[in-house]
Amino acid sequence: MMVPFSSNGVRLSAREWVVVIVIVAALFCLGPLLWELAEKFEPGPDYRLPYELSNDYRLYKRYCRWACSQYKTLVIGDSVIWGHYVPKDNTLSHHLNEIAGQVQFANLGVDGIHPVALAGLMKYYGGPITGKKVILHFNPLWLSSRKHDLQSEKEFHFDHPKLAPQFFPNIPCYKASYSKRISAVVERYVPFTSFTSHLNKTYLNSMDLSAWTIEHPYDVPKFEIRNSKFEIPRLEGAAAATATDIQWVALETSLQWRFFQSSVEILKARKNRVFVLVGPFNEHMLKGKSVDTYRKMKEEIVAWLNQNGVPYYMAPVLASELYRDASHPLSDGYAMLARNLFENNSFRKLVVGNGAAGQSNGARQQRAE
Amino acid sequence: MYFHTWPFVLFFLIVYSIYLVLTETRFRLLFSLAASYLFYACFNPLYLILIAYSTLLDYVAIAKMEKNRHRKIWLCISIINNLGLLGFFKYGGFITDNLNVLLALLGIPYAVPAPSILLPVGISFYTFQSISYAIDCYRGNIEREKSFIKHATYICLFPRLVAGPIERAKNLLPQLRSMPKVSIQDVTDGLSLFIVGLFKKVALADYLALYVDKVYATPEQFQSPALVLATFLFSWQIYFDFSGYTDMARGVARMMGFHLMLNFNNPYLATGLGDFWQRWHISLSSWFKDYIYIPLGGNRKGMFNTYRNMFLTMVISGLWHGAAWTFVIWGAVHALGRFLTRELERTTFYKERVPKFVKQLFVFGFVTFAWIFFRAETISNAWTIVARIFASGLANPYCPLLALALIFSVWLYQFAYESRFKEFLQARPVRVGIVVLMVLYLAIFAPSSEQPFIYSQF
Repeated sequence: MMVPFSSNGVRLSAREWVVVIVIVAALFCLGPLLWELAEKFEPGPDYRLPYELSNDYRLYKRYCRWACSQYKTLVIGDSVIWGHYVPKDNTLSHHLNEIAGQVQFANLGVDGIHPVALAGLMKYYGGPITGKKVILHFNPLWLSSRKHDLQSEKEFHFDHPKLAPQFFPNIPCYKASYSKRISAVVERYVPFTSFTSHLNKTYLNSMDLSAWTIEHPYDVPKFEIRNSKFEIPRLEGAAAATATDIQWVALETSLQWRFFQSSVEILKARKNRVFVLVGPFNEHMLKGKSVDTYRKMKEEIVAWLNQNGVPYYMAPVLASELYRDASHPLSDGYAMLARNLFENNSFRKLVVGNGAAGQSNGARQQRAE
Repeated sequence: MYFHTWPFVLFFLIVYSIYLVLTETRFRLLFSLAASYLFYACFNPLYLILIAYSTLLDYVAIAKMEKNRHRKIWLCISIINNLGLLGFFKYGGFITDNLNVLLALLGIPYAVPAPSILLPVGISFYTFQSISYAIDCYRGNIEREKSFIKHATYICLFPRLVAGPIERAKNLLPQLRSMPKVSIQDVTDGLSLFIVGLFKKVALADYLALYVDKVYATPEQFQSPALVLATFLFSWQIYFDFSGYTDMARGVARMMGFHLMLNFNNPYLATGLGDFWQRWHISLSSWFKDYIYIPLGGNRKGMFNTYRNMFLTMVISGLWHGAAWTFVIWGAVHALGRFLTRELERTTFYKERVPKFVKQLFVFGFVTFAWIFFRAETISNAWTIVARIFASGLANPYCPLLALALIFSVWLYQFAYESRFKEFLQARPVRVGIVVLMVLYLAIFAPSSEQPFIYSQF
């Protein structure tokens, strides 16, 4: 019995499919490259990824490439490095540059990038960071509860889920559908999909074209990388340091710590000189057992860093008025932290040293201290 | 696990690879059955019990029908069983709701507890397919399939399990009896069908849904232009959604070597409502014609009986689509439209003087109007929409121009395809260009959609 094929003329032979595949493959390869040539991206001094584009990982990769060509040292971390409560010319990297007397430090912080996501960011998009000096920030806040550590069984919508492991190891609070997980994996490995994701995030307010046209029915997207409209949260004096008995997650069982270790290893494997900055953490907020637990945790962190030959700096406790909350310093806090860093031998050695060599020297120096 | 999601892509890649390796009919058949059950279980493993039970009972009933003197009784058992399943799972809530309204009207202080039953995906489709098979066997139109595996595969073959087409046994069973060899052309044809379906669903239907859902959720907040446009967009949304699904289903089946029936044939180019129903959801329309309209007497017993039969068929068809009065009204509106156009179409004036394009627009306009009752959440919402279309302001509808441009491009293509420009559309560069554009649009602009198909919920 003959069944009509279809009600349209779209019926391709094998040869025609080959032609389609060749054309599409060529466009998939060339399109993003040509787009990047035409797309104006000129980060200036004190540049930081626009807040709204925090999850535009392709742009992050491009910024990494640019920063690697312009700066000697990259400062990588979460919103503490990005500078959530300060303008871009008051961040840690800005103060470090000021003390160094030259533009040497690039702010590669990403708002909300917890260590699990950071490991993904470094693994899949941090490729350009090779043979550089890297200051990698570790924020103990991510270990301050099982929820922060992504270990709660209840579904929890955390930032940057696409960078987290989609299948293994299991993130207990991550309950995305298989479809979403697979598309996240595809986005990592198929550059064209990260390109389309970049288009959506950069030009369509993080929407797809369909959703964007519903909101802007008669508009045409503006083809320029938008500047951040991020408004620094109003500062009504430093946050009241309400003391809390934080239920720290043990380091050996922490997911965040495990992935932070993995970030260090990824960066080291790419021949970077990694320097870890631990904290600052607003210890004024701690009370009860959490003080001792935190102290013990810091010791364990130091032990691991020493054991792995990673130079580090344990940020001292700043005065409570220099914090905005549990982990974010205010402008003066950043300035003080920068000064403290420059007083640290390992850090100075890193800053004046050359390239990626001498990884273990820094660590030896640290141990000697 | 819908066709346009990543899990299906993975599922199909694995299943298809194994399927191609198995060349012997019996292994391929067994594997197809297992894959189909696995596919269905991905929606909810409990559904398997239902489909296995339904399949087994029909198999026994049809077997008994062949050997037993009480053929009619076994046919009734099969039909009652299928309709019973459908009634229980699909109409349980509807019946109790209406019963409770009736009890309240009669002042009886008792409410029948509403069953909280999950509607099994695809139940409307496979029960209808089973019924048609049983009736065809009863009528002697088709030989009974003796192999249970083939019978079960016919009922649950995964490409058509969720939302049809409702395949007739005379088309699909012979293909299962000697499993078809998969040729290169089957693969390329399947891919062609699939890509068109994917584009219709993801790039068009899901896009239009954004506007339609917004307007239909709170019709009282929108004025005439927005309501008209949302209704216009819905008529295309449901077409793209369902025909897109069918194209993908046919594409997947074709890649496996099966030829499923054409279910949509550019319905919005119909020149009459009768013509529309021969182009829209053809497998269901022909099912209703063969198993309801004609058994009721069709058009053989005078005008009154013809219209009665038409009315009953359309109302039952409406009810098949969903357990709500809005669907019944939708069916009734179509029946009414059919009465009017049937007579109109017989006049010389309509036949000879009215341009084809005007007829097409008229049919499209009528069908679009009827969709209001299909889409509205409640009857009162439907009335609100109708009333506000005719009596509200003319505020800016804020309807995306891109959506309209896409719809008109498709419409234009369809007009051209049914005209002397068909040859142009079949030229190689045009076909290749269209596919390249569709793939690029899907890759760049289309969201990773997880929206279910509208018809899979019926």
